[in-house]
Amino acid sequence: MTNVPTHAASAEVTPTDTHARGPLLLLIGSGLLWLVISGVLALITAIQLRTPGFMADCAWLTHGRAQALRESTFIYGWLANAGLAVALWVLGRLGGSPLRGLNWAVIGTLFWNTALAVGLVGIATGDMSGFAFLQLPRYVLPAMAIAYAAIAVPGVLAWIGRRNDTTFAAQWYAVAALFILPWILAAAQLVLLWLPVRGVVQAIAATWYAQAAWTLWLAPLALAGAYFVVPKTAGKLMPNYDFASLGFWTLMFLGAWTGGRHLIGGPVPAWIATMAVMAGSMLIFHYLVVFLNLRIATGSSGEAAKYIRFGLLAYILVGVLELYTSFRSAALGVQFTFLAVALEQLALYGAVSMLFFGAIHFLVPRITSRPWASAGLAAGHRVLVSIGIVVLLVALCAAGSTQAGLLADAKVSFGEITQRIGLPLLGVISAYLLLLAANLLLLVNFLQTALAFSGPSVQPQTLFRQPAALEGSAT
Amino acid sequence: MKNGPVFFFGLLAAVGISWGGIVLGSHYQLGSLAPYYDDTQGNAFPLRPQGVASRGQLVYADLGCASCHTQQVRRPGFGADQARGWGERQSVARDYIFQAKPQLGVARLGPDLMNYGGRIEKEKGPAAADAIYQFLYAGSAAHPAYKFLFDDKAIDGQRSTKALAASPAGRQIVPSERAQTLVAYLLNSNTTYDYPEARPFTVAAKKEEAKK
Repeated sequence: MTNVPTHAASAEVTPTDTHARGPLLLLIGSGLLWLVISGVLALITAIQLRTPGFMADCAWLTHGRAQALRESTFIYGWLANAGLAVALWVLGRLGGSPLRGLNWAVIGTLFWNTALAVGLVGIATGDMSGFAFLQLPRYVLPAMAIAYAAIAVPGVLAWIGRRNDTTFAAQWYAVAALFILPWILAAAQLVLLWLPVRGVVQAIAATWYAQAAWTLWLAPLALAGAYFVVPKTAGKLMPNYDFASLGFWTLMFLGAWTGGRHLIGGPVPAWIATMAVMAGSMLIFHYLVVFLNLRIATGSSGEAAKYIRFGLLAYILVGVLELYTSFRSAALGVQFTFLAVALEQLALYGAVSMLFFGAIHFLVPRITSRPWASAGLAAGHRVLVSIGIVVLLVALCAAGSTQAGLLADAKVSFGEITQRIGLPLLGVISAYLLLLAANLLLLVNFLQTALAFSGPSVQPQTLFRQPAALEGSAT
Repeated sequence: MKNGPVFFFGLLAAVGISWGGIVLGSHYQLGSLAPYYDDTQGNAFPLRPQGVASRGQLVYADLGCASCHTQQVRRPGFGADQARGWGERQSVARDYIFQAKPQLGVARLGPDLMNYGGRIEKEKGPAAADAIYQFLYAGSAAHPAYKFLFDDKAIDGQRSTKALAASPAGRQIVPSERAQTLVAYLLNSNTTYDYPEARPFTVAAKKEEAKK
């Protein structure tokens, strides 16, 4: 642990933390396991892009399916489990009393992960739904919506029974994410898989879901962690905090409207793309507020803060780039190329995952009341994962811009395009190798920390430096 | 933010408005889009695909073909879709009304397949189906082979009429039922009819309309 111990940390580990240890560790552990599995699948798909024959004879892992498996394990395996752990912990902390109804969370976690595993086998054997962000077959989706709601129970109870009259930004984002996913999951599967709407309306509804899952579910989960951890690691109050609620509601009301940028030039009504530009322009206000509130992250110290600085920078960048690519002239070059993949990876890996890593790094020692088993592994993960993400984004952008240029020239064949982007794709493969190695380090470190019941529990005072008075620093 | 119910209903409204606006709004606009009846041809377009071709779309979807191929032609002048020969006009919502699961696609690692059937039939004539089977079986430098869609078996008695021409001596490579529906679907992909809404918008056309 790199935090410098001081005398002021007596209340740093509270019963709130240790009480929820088991359920939260179960969520984080499942998340990390899925992250590693997703990393292996990412490697397979990246190799397939460069060498199409790779594993082509295996029907379960043909490129289209491997791609859907990678995406589903990443979103519903890693991001969902880890994000729920962060949200529950934040709500418990700010609610002021130990989490109640934790059995619901444990049962929910088991059902969620079982349903996901069944769904993945379904994708591999030919039941893939075919909609981006929602590739899981329809027979597991109702169970997943209910399991998610069960996991959310302790968080909602902590929100309803909170001791303080005042609420904090971290709480708004966490509660919003807990409520919204079951709603959007139910609304999307209804119109896509149970009572499918007609023709291209399906594509529009799928785009709505993908954008809502990102702006109303994943981004709020990540921001809940960031809004909680940043003031603590910086040891300062958040500046311009009065704007935080406006920033929150801007995201909630406008976020899902910005998905139309994926449909520019397609067989859909033009107003969908126009609404995306309008909503995206106004949404810049949200990103500005996040920047103003959390700019104190620059002065914070510790490993967790380093992850979070990376994640916040990526998050702001996503906001700007999403707006930029909503314009038709920009979309023309980005659409259908690796540039679009790069933007998605910037959001899901660079922003959300890095913010989760930071929050997890901060909370695991607090719920286990012992430091990370190995400071070396922790630092190694952070360095490797940061480099991995940067290499991934650079390689994807290089591949994407080459591809965009060649696609515009009708004389260039697809065989030639594949050949010309071979080198950047090699970069993508090495980036996924780095990320897989990094996440294995994190998994090992986490298991050592979580399972070290025999080791001596350390006095909290020696672990943390944050003064307890900063608990409610959000005001 | 102190008021729990207001917060809750605020969230509900935020999600509900976006869902209502985008999903229900476009459903209201396009959900009851009817085929276009052309008096001069005495037929309504798009033509309803045959059963086997419809089922092929589900094979296309479950193999994830859409992760590399789009099925949407953008308007002339917006991208090189027309120059690449993918279609003379842009794709419009009416093209998809009989499709169970429209596969608009997200990436173009391979060509657009909106009019693939029409293209390959023009090129290969009656041998088009064989050409697609052969390509699916053997793959290329930029496309994986889908050998698991075929049965490679010894010739037992008579050779199957569906066996690939390029089967090795003494053996026959027969497309599975899934491969047959997929190819029927691909051959069926052709949007020839020029709907009024698909014509490029020009100032001249607008003036003409104003005169009427």
